[in-house]
Amino acid sequence: MGRTSAAGRANRVRAARSALGLTQAELAAAVDVTRQTVVAVEAGNYAPSVYLALAVAAHLGRSVEELFGHDPAAPSGRSHDTEVHS
Amino acid sequence: MKHEDDIHDVDVDDVQDDWFLRAAARVGDLTSPFYREERQRDVWNEASAVGLQLMLWLGLAASTAMVWIGGQESLPYAITLFCLVGAVSWVSLVYARRLGVAVEAPARVLTPRLVPYLLLLAAFLAGVVRAAPDDGFPGGFAYGAAGGAALAVVVLVVSGARTRRRDAAA
Repeated sequence: MGRTSAAGRANRVRAARSALGLTQAELAAAVDVTRQTVVAVEAGNYAPSVYLALAVAAHLGRSVEELFGHDPAAPSGRSHDTEVHS
Repeated sequence: MKHEDDIHDVDVDDVQDDWFLRAAARVGDLTSPFYREERQRDVWNEASAVGLQLMLWLGLAASTAMVWIGGQESLPYAITLFCLVGAVSWVSLVYARRLGVAVEAPARVLTPRLVPYLLLLAAFLAGVVRAAPDDGFPGGFAYGAAGGAALAVVVLVVSGARTRRRDAAA
């Protein structure tokens, strides 16, 4: 696992995206990254830059803290990996 | 704690005026749209690091095999390969250093994973000395190169050990 990894740290991006009915591809296009990057962020395999985190948060109508803030009780992004690969 | 790796602040103007960085950006095609996507860029950077390390190992291993198997006749080719690999590595180090990252700082380089590389380097240098002719320019050059490289390794090890002791005491 490389330095870009978020070491499996949980975040709430998938939940927030799903709540808005957005697909990974739509979110990716909105924040100008590839869908694979959205997949990796949601799975906790990639720690986004502060700029990407801000863009994702703005597009999902949440704060960065809400999406990426530390909360041990938060569900891991890894629990929903079934839609990750295409 | 200030570390010796924190060599200096890098100003944006310094970067834009730096001919080396401009040339490196052109060689590396760093303005390619590919690098705009941050995860692509990060993953490719990691992949490039893997490739560079592999090139260092295979280059030294090939050079070592050449001098031990091919002897004196293969000496120019082995040294050329060794220098090519060294030049590529040097460019990478200079690029990082110009942007304020001292990858080659002894305290950072001197890790257990360096030991097998140093042993392979020692085998290469021993092979160069063994294969080099006893007299003439080629022989002198080979002995000089081997001695210089060995001295550089000793300086690196001593410097790294001293830095670590100083950091531990601080």
